[in-house]
Amino acid sequence: MNLQRIMALVKMELKKLIREPANLFLMLLFPAVLTLTFGIAFGDPALGMDFSVMTPGLISYACIFIIMTVAMSFTDEREQGLLKRINTTPMTSGEFMGSHMISNMFISILQVVIVLVMALFFGFRPLSDVVGFILAFLTIALFSLCSVGLGLITATIAKSAGAATGISFIFILPQMFFGTFIPITDTTRIIAIFLPSYYVVDALTSIFGGVPLTSENLLIDFGVISIVSVAIIIIGIQLFKKYGNK
Amino acid sequence: MLAKSNIKDKPQKPEDVFDLDNNSAIIIKDLVKQFEDVTAVNGLNLEIKKGELFGLLGPNGAGKTTIINVLCGLLKPTKGTAIVGGYDVRKNLKKVKELIGVCPQEPAVFKFLNARENIELFGNLHAMPKKKIKERTDKLLELLDLTEASKRKTKGYSGGMRRKLNMIIALISDPEIAFLDEPTVGMDPRARRSTWEFIGSLKNQNKTVILTTHYIEEAEALSDRVGIIDYGELIALGSPKRLMEKYESKNLEEVFLKITGRRIVEGI
Repeated sequence: MNLQRIMALVKMELKKLIREPANLFLMLLFPAVLTLTFGIAFGDPALGMDFSVMTPGLISYACIFIIMTVAMSFTDEREQGLLKRINTTPMTSGEFMGSHMISNMFISILQVVIVLVMALFFGFRPLSDVVGFILAFLTIALFSLCSVGLGLITATIAKSAGAATGISFIFILPQMFFGTFIPITDTTRIIAIFLPSYYVVDALTSIFGGVPLTSENLLIDFGVISIVSVAIIIIGIQLFKKYGNK
Repeated sequence: MLAKSNIKDKPQKPEDVFDLDNNSAIIIKDLVKQFEDVTAVNGLNLEIKKGELFGLLGPNGAGKTTIINVLCGLLKPTKGTAIVGGYDVRKNLKKVKELIGVCPQEPAVFKFLNARENIELFGNLHAMPKKKIKERTDKLLELLDLTEASKRKTKGYSGGMRRKLNMIIALISDPEIAFLDEPTVGMDPRARRSTWEFIGSLKNQNKTVILTTHYIEEAEALSDRVGIIDYGELIALGSPKRLMEKYESKNLEEVFLKITGRRIVEGI
């Protein structure tokens, strides 16, 4: 592993985030707009959807959109011959994928900060301590790996950046309706338990609700998120390496 | 799908083309590359010397880009061996990639980065020291007349400017072996001439250059030797002068038309 190579690509990805309007909107402005909209529309505790309920869902929902940006980015770079060009340098596929994981983890942490700051403005008062916040950041960083993996699977299937946008909704929509900011019912729970976002929202709700960090429920959530995220990123990398980078 | 050639005098066996000393930059033995039912490269044997500027010519779809893609590790050979800088592309691809610079046919640059950022990115991907990246970036931008535009995002570049940048990126790591796949397509005559001069100057630095081009006069002016490929086979090999004598032609273009045209006429 060569750190110079990895950091060069991370720097490039972050420049893309700032300079490409679509990326900037989806990754940073979208979580802000979403939080603002929900804050104005549902910020009243009388509606039963105050920010202690919505914030974990909003954070997870923002992170899910990494699927779309990763898929668009990979298909676009493939179309432009950039992936092939990078492939002619001594950079290994491990370094290449590692750089994407780091940059997307960083973006997901930025998203948490944006949503948290705005939620605080709308009256959200988390009951967690510093360790709890660190664990919340770790949870979402881990979940970003899952989104990168699903983005890679999307990029493997999609023939163009346009198609990648559409296909990514196969992974975005279920997580949007079954497990993020829309409250789970007994009926939707049957589906939601098969989605990683359900466990992320559950973990964040526990952490921000002041549940002890050693609670069994939280450890189960963390275990599921870890296993699923690592499995999906491995599947994503393998599929993309075999079929996507052509 | 590939028809057999019966052209006389074409190099056929490895012993016809190999001078097996240590002065070889590239050795290709019995190389075959198949895509499902299409044979893009069919039993190619070729040796390219260190410091040689080798022109790879051929009609569209002849297999030139496929050969380059195999040599730089983007495609796995179906059969045969390709040794680049002393390393087998199947076994030591990482070592091969440390030695080569590749200028792809279509300019591949990040549009949201400026020229300098693009070049520096690829310098970092080659793990070059920061100081050397800066020195070479300045030098190459100057040589290809891109210094003034180097801080502008490449999104606004003309096709010619993008092609120049494409070549600079290929050469940032100061590679021992450079693959230039049609580097001057779409450039205006002035830019093409200055790029020719630049490519010619690589010879003085003892770089091995493999140049594919459709501008036959470009290959004639720059190449020490040319190889003409058709239907994935090497059908002629030699210095431009030798080939012109052999085929009794005024220039290399005539040679090219004679031997590639003959295949069409003969219905091969």
